[in-house]
Amino acid sequence: MSKVKIRDSVRRIEDLRFLTGTGNYIDDVVIGGEVVGVVVRSPYAHAKINGFDATDAEALDGVLAVITGAEWAAQNFGPIPTNSAVKENRDGTPISVPDRPCLASERVRYVGEAVAFVVAETLAIARQAVELVDVDYDPLPAVTHPVKALEPGAPQLHDAIEGNLCVDWELGDKDGTEKAFAAADRIITLELHNNRVTGAPIEPRGAVAYYDDASGTYTIYQSSQNIHANRNQMATILGIDKDNIHHVAPDVGGGFGAKNSVYPEPVITLYATKKVGRPVKWVNDRAESFLSDTHGRSQYSTVEMAVMNDGTFKGLRTTTIGEMGAYCGTVGAFTPTGGSARTQGGPYAFEAMYYSAKAGFTNTAPLDPYRGAGRPEGSFQIERIVELAARELDMDPVELRRKNLIPKDALPLVTSMGLDVDCGDFPTVFEKTLAMTDRAGYEARAAASQAQGKCRGFAIAPYLECTGGMPKEHAVISFDDDGSVSLAIGSHSTGMGHETSLPQILAAQLGIDIERIKFTQADTDATPLGGGHGGSRGMEMGGNAVLQTAGEVIEKGKAIAAHHFECSVDDVEFDDGAYIQPGSNNTMTMDNAINAAQDHSTLPDDLAPGCLDTGSTFERGIISIPNGCHAAEAEVDPETGAVQITGFWVVDDFGTIVNPMLADGQVMGGIGQGLGQALLEQAIYDEESGQLVTGSLIDYALPRAEDMPPMRLDYYEDSPTKKTPLGAKGAGEAGCCGAPPAIVNAVLDALKGHGVTHIEMPLTPEMVWQAVRDA
Amino acid sequence: MYEFNFQRPANSDAAIDAQANAEDGQYMAGGQTIIPVLKQRLAMPSDVIDLGAIEDLSGITIADGTVTIGAMTTHTDVATSGDVLGAIPALADLASMIGDPHVRNRGTIGGSIANNDPAADYPAAVLGLGATVHTNQRTIIADEFFTDLFETALDEGELITNVAFPVPDQAAYMKFPNPASRYAIAGVFVSRTGADVRVAVTGAATCVFRAAEMERALAGNFNPDAIEGIGVDGTDFNNDLHASAEYRTHLVSVMAKRAVAKALG
Ligand SMILES: Cc1cc2nc3c(=O)[nH]c(=O)nc-3n(C[C@H](O)[C@H](O)[C@H](O)COP(=O)(O)OP(=O)(O)OC[C@H]3O[C@@H](n4cnc5c(N)ncnc54)[C@H](O)[C@@H]3O)c2cc1C
Repeated sequence: MSKVKIRDSVRRIEDLRFLTGTGNYIDDVVIGGEVVGVVVRSPYAHAKINGFDATDAEALDGVLAVITGAEWAAQNFGPIPTNSAVKENRDGTPISVPDRPCLASERVRYVGEAVAFVVAETLAIARQAVELVDVDYDPLPAVTHPVKALEPGAPQLHDAIEGNLCVDWELGDKDGTEKAFAAADRIITLELHNNRVTGAPIEPRGAVAYYDDASGTYTIYQSSQNIHANRNQMATILGIDKDNIHHVAPDVGGGFGAKNSVYPEPVITLYATKKVGRPVKWVNDRAESFLSDTHGRSQYSTVEMAVMNDGTFKGLRTTTIGEMGAYCGTVGAFTPTGGSARTQGGPYAFEAMYYSAKAGFTNTAPLDPYRGAGRPEGSFQIERIVELAARELDMDPVELRRKNLIPKDALPLVTSMGLDVDCGDFPTVFEKTLAMTDRAGYEARAAASQAQGKCRGFAIAPYLECTGGMPKEHAVISFDDDGSVSLAIGSHSTGMGHETSLPQILAAQLGIDIERIKFTQADTDATPLGGGHGGSRGMEMGGNAVLQTAGEVIEKGKAIAAHHFECSVDDVEFDDGAYIQPGSNNTMTMDNAINAAQDHSTLPDDLAPGCLDTGSTFERGIISIPNGCHAAEAEVDPETGAVQITGFWVVDDFGTIVNPMLADGQVMGGIGQGLGQALLEQAIYDEESGQLVTGSLIDYALPRAEDMPPMRLDYYEDSPTKKTPLGAKGAGEAGCCGAPPAIVNAVLDALKGHGVTHIEMPLTPEMVWQAVRDA
Repeated sequence: MYEFNFQRPANSDAAIDAQANAEDGQYMAGGQTIIPVLKQRLAMPSDVIDLGAIEDLSGITIADGTVTIGAMTTHTDVATSGDVLGAIPALADLASMIGDPHVRNRGTIGGSIANNDPAADYPAAVLGLGATVHTNQRTIIADEFFTDLFETALDEGELITNVAFPVPDQAAYMKFPNPASRYAIAGVFVSRTGADVRVAVTGAATCVFRAAEMERALAGNFNPDAIEGIGVDGTDFNNDLHASAEYRTHLVSVMAKRAVAKALG
């Protein structure tokens, strides 16, 4: 049994389960008597559907049902809802949102779109039946490039939406930016592409559902990161009361945003289980995961910076073309617009900034949040243009950044993008990072590289972030007769370690042993609401909900202590795990108060056993502003283009750090994902056929352990946010904001002598080699 | 997967019989290629004949300047064999670069060369060392074994029993891995035995091949400088998502020079 405090690196409680193979992932969930559902997916990027013939599939032994798009259409279910925080174009007209059915019946718009669902006794029979479902398609021309989709004459995806345009949007101080540009000595301009990537969670999406006839209720287990919202959305689609769906996520093997949205398959699984009267399990395979998960990023941007000859930044203007995919994802138009605009300019001072974006439909899988959802794009834009400015001004990139960082005493401030930056110390974080990087030894390392025919480069990349996600979170704390304490929460870990860090907060607050706490997450029966996982909200929202609810438990317990002390409640205080009555020797530990709360004889007359059980909803006011600084050293082999990141240093300001080891895990994972985007990953669709070319791990390059640099991480902890009681700023997405620009700029610094100024991500060996050759 | 009969014969004769009697029987060695193919429903054999129980198909022996490796010997066993490390370290080095530990613990030399993936590593060593492939029916020299994309000289049902590698004076393998799959985008195996030089290239074209011009240049002067400026004709090289034919052509030259330098130590 152990007492823990906030800021202890408590070891991950869940790891015993994960590392011994006893995790309970979606394919491990067994209801009993389940049958298997497999999706029939469109092989075409764009086609008209003339009809379905499921006769042969239905005739196969062991097939229970073939649900076609035509059957689905006849049910008159609702479309898949989308809820973009950006709802209007710049001219005030509503953005264009096409209807998206769970099963297409008239037209398919991307390879992998669901058109039918086979239910059979076994997976083998179901897969065989899938091959027998005959869908009559008339192929149509397709467009898979977001810029080309908006050009005149492009194939049109949705009859009611002209020019494939979803949204045309702007934010910021347009006039002020024009003035700043007019007054500047120079304008630095860079066109860049933020490559399209996919989350590739190690566990593909899946669900198991059953229907109880007697009560008319559904139960569904899903590998989701957002079960309360998904439940409500599924209920809306099916036109049923949300309380008739009990939605649970078992252990979830990664999400990264790809398990946020409501998808067609779980909704069809609910329909199918009721139809066949048996529990139904559907689990995607890896190929289906590539085809049907939401993808992320994909922005083509022009970044312009107005700057004085002495290096003073004046104005920033970013013009972006983003991509929706075939339909709007759950947050729809938000990522390339508001999501990318908010943190424009990073931690630098500008007189004015202006952001504008368009995003259109393409014959590709829908795009939705992917770790960072717009902030990494913004961070990449600013850090690349600053690096280029340093080259063009012939200034030291470190000096140029140092000169323009927002000073500590300028905070709090609200940026031209409306971002409320309350606290932090960007210059200190920057210098602290730089101090870790062993600049003194750099020349020797560079010389050693050169002796081997290689080039070494360095870059530093401060970043500014913000959190997001649902602004409410609910925690329930209850006390059981066996002495255990139950903590239920509506936020959700898909591997990050909340099973450790949230009980850690509760144990620290109450002064009880952490081992007593039983943790539940992601269950609509356990908490009335929950925001799941997204927008780096886990600690900011979940942590504060636990803190607040624990505070309410402590308050309630004062009545028990007062009864015991025979004093007034007002005379009781709580300190370090015990109630005390100042001025007396009376003390009562929380453990004793918890025991007393279970027993009539030790309670005052107006309290009953269970009186400490508490549920409460924490509501966030304004989102917090995580920030920090990354630095990277890269070694490039100019003869082959191969890149190795040889060193990586980070200082993060995440406000209060609850568990440094878990925070480190978030940062390292984010660096890995950022390195993947910078050097390796790209989801590519063939422009002619619209096929996903990178549809397997043989062609989609994920980073591996050997690609990772040695990393040194530290924190700046003198600036917890006062926006919330815990003071924590989000940590989950920060790594993805800092790593891509640090890595790309370090490679470009290495190739400075070769005259290379820009390479698009991912910086694959061939791209690097070509850039060296062509420079 | 489609349904198939699974057989696990105890010796080679039984395996050959089982294959001959099956409607469409396929051998399975480490399963690292055949199982993914079956799972993706890209093949529909009537019978899968697992060679895993046949003891005399695996093992490494060394005699008379020849290292003989049983068809069922895993990549890990070759990579860590004291005999191989002593006689042909380049071969152990190559085996250690294949895939990941899981793949190396299952995948076999027989399965790899029977499959003849254009990006696989072993074909470069077999051709680059001038090895001999022994089957239940005959011996096939390396130069005649690899015939085309995923094609070999093996007849239907013919079983590889072992591969015999002559020990060279000097040899080395350099591989430029595909960032996604980590198979070879371009891999070059060079060896010198007396005045005889072999340069075998994998990954770049549809099938492993020998770079004759480089071999001639190196025969006179086994030194990286000797092949400076001597490239390969990449007109028909693979041109795909991961590397253009032009980049592969360039990489073959770079890897060849580096392999020679490595062979010289
Ligand atoms: C993730 C992954 C990464 C990999 N990376 C690499 C890499 O970097 N480099 C590389 O070279 N390879 C790589 N491989 C391939 C692997 O190394 C195996 O060598 C290859 O899959 C075949 O060997 P196997 O023993 O698994 O053969 P199997 O898959 O069992 O069989 C392959 C074929 O050979 C036939 N066959 C097998 N044994 C015999 C025999 N004795 N006689 C006749 N026919 C036979 C089978 O019938 C089948 O057609 C990788 C594989 C995976 C799964």
